[in-house]
Amino acid sequence: MSSLVPKLDLHEIQATVLRQRPAPYFGTHLLFRVDDTESGRKFLRRLTPHVDSAAGWWSAADPWLAVGITYAGFQALGVPQDSLQSFPESFRDGMAARARQLGDEGVNDPKHWDLPYGKGELHIGVSAFSDSEANRRRILGIARKQFEGFSGVSILAMQDFGAQPGDLNPLGYKDGIDQPAVEGSGVEPLPGQGRPIKAGEFILGYPGESGVPLPMPQPDILGRNGTYLGFRKYQSRVGAFNRFLRAHGNTDEERELLAAKLVGRWRSGAPLTLAPDVDDPALGADPKRNNDFNYANDQRGRQAPFGCHMRRMNPRDTELSRLTDVNLHRIIRRGTTYGPPYDPNALSQEDDEIPRGAIFQFISAKAMATIEFLQQEWINDGNFIGAGDERDPIIGLQPDGATYTIPKEPVRRRVHGIETFNVLRGGEYFFVPSLSALRWLGNLADKSSIEQKER
Amino acid sequence: METPRTTQSQTQRARAPKQDQGAQQKIQQMRELFADASAVGKKALENVLKELTTQVSEPPPPIESAGRVGARLGKRSELTIVVPLVPGGAKRLRTFLQLLGGNLSPGATKVGTLHDMRFVFLDNDTRLLFATSFDGDWDTYIDDFIALIPDYLDLMDSAWEGWPGIRNPGAKDYLVKHQITAEGWFVANPELTLAEIDRLKRQGKAVDEFLDKVGG
Repeated sequence: MSSLVPKLDLHEIQATVLRQRPAPYFGTHLLFRVDDTESGRKFLRRLTPHVDSAAGWWSAADPWLAVGITYAGFQALGVPQDSLQSFPESFRDGMAARARQLGDEGVNDPKHWDLPYGKGELHIGVSAFSDSEANRRRILGIARKQFEGFSGVSILAMQDFGAQPGDLNPLGYKDGIDQPAVEGSGVEPLPGQGRPIKAGEFILGYPGESGVPLPMPQPDILGRNGTYLGFRKYQSRVGAFNRFLRAHGNTDEERELLAAKLVGRWRSGAPLTLAPDVDDPALGADPKRNNDFNYANDQRGRQAPFGCHMRRMNPRDTELSRLTDVNLHRIIRRGTTYGPPYDPNALSQEDDEIPRGAIFQFISAKAMATIEFLQQEWINDGNFIGAGDERDPIIGLQPDGATYTIPKEPVRRRVHGIETFNVLRGGEYFFVPSLSALRWLGNLADKSSIEQKER
Repeated sequence: METPRTTQSQTQRARAPKQDQGAQQKIQQMRELFADASAVGKKALENVLKELTTQVSEPPPPIESAGRVGARLGKRSELTIVVPLVPGGAKRLRTFLQLLGGNLSPGATKVGTLHDMRFVFLDNDTRLLFATSFDGDWDTYIDDFIALIPDYLDLMDSAWEGWPGIRNPGAKDYLVKHQITAEGWFVANPELTLAEIDRLKRQGKAVDEFLDKVGG
């Protein structure tokens, strides 16, 4: 039990892996296609000095840039064949091709996705995070300067995010509260975060929960201190969500309790386990208290239903029907909200189509396996908690006639007609290289030939 | 001949005439294959032919693939492995199984997905037939097995020739290499997982208690 905690190379790991989103947050996602290998490498060489490391994780007020590269991107950058083959199969396939494993069917099927997702054209993603609109513009300006003025790298999409009053998500909840604690990151765990999880589960090159590092792409300089990021863009059907609340709650109080029962938290972030009957906004706002609980006194789901979003994403000490080590399925989440804020009075079908939702970034050294596990087992199934076929009420894909069960005395309440409230509109798997790996990628070709080209 | 595999009844209905033709061909092939079968076999074929014709032309949903290898029906998957044993492996494994009276519960119950398991020694203890059926895909939870029950798996599987150890990244490939997909398989309730069966049992008990109270 006296295993040594490895020291993390914080100056090598990208800031976004360990740095929490600031509050409030303002940012932009930029998606690029590399049309020409040399230009792609040049873009990386110019961009890398502006990409932030996790060494300064505590100064979250400073804006930062993060870079991710897809498998198609590595191909476009001319990464050697043996390196390409060293990536896991799911990463090489890309998220759209993994639709079966992810359960992305029906309305979530990649054939309905927004451009440029799912076409194999998405090569490099750059995300700018900041704490103010002025800083967002400044850091975005820096990013833009690195690709403007030369051809060979095309911008496919630009998506601003954040800036919601109270940092609420598109369905009107405070989110992003419960994150896994990463051992050795230097970040003090918050009460209730659970024991720190081995760094190797989130960053390549360090021992994972099994005691050994996870396999990483080769050569070493490319893989070490890197990680994977699953990018999923959701459109929130706010009208459908509000219609559901109104159909099953007669008063504001009833509707808000139902809304809390779906997530496991009141909109303020206060967990039902600590505030079972009425919202407690002060509790919700306090990061030292709002996650400090387990389910020891709620093993029957009377407070937080077994099927609620929060309990599914982190069952903590819930008794599960399958042999499960819950610490193996944790993932770092960086939710980024886009579009107009939640409107409690939006009720129409047109409201469902207003571009508004969240782009989730899920970060883990085995992100593909974890996301596929979560999608199959904890989001689009209820078997693991003895809830039959029921699915996650917030991010699940609901079939016709779906139900949601709320345990209650003397008999449970079963709510009918739950719909898909968040529709998947795009996604991709990215690798988030270390700063050394970014430099290695930028300098892949013979140096003298590049210098000649630049002259 | 490979018939198109689909579970959508509409598509099946649209293709019904073609399937009938296929059914006739299959029955014909059966007749040909049984031409040099024993008299008992030939007689049996003729006796069941009428029923068989109906079954073949209106087949139930076919078994699907359970990922890389193995068959799946509804929520249930099967895994059949035939593997050579190391010298002394059979004795070790048999003694271990006898230690438990040949009954692997309650240990196996903890997994929560295993409906059954059987260990059969073949060919003078040189090979093992291992067969099981379970809910979902086994590889989804392999990391959990490695974390929670690695020693039980290695204790049993170390009798297998070339077993790399459950923690070895090659363990999955080893299993896939020795796994043989079942050609035919029957599951009475393919939609019922163990968790669902438990829930129904609890519910049945609650209903009985309620009825007892109402009925006095």
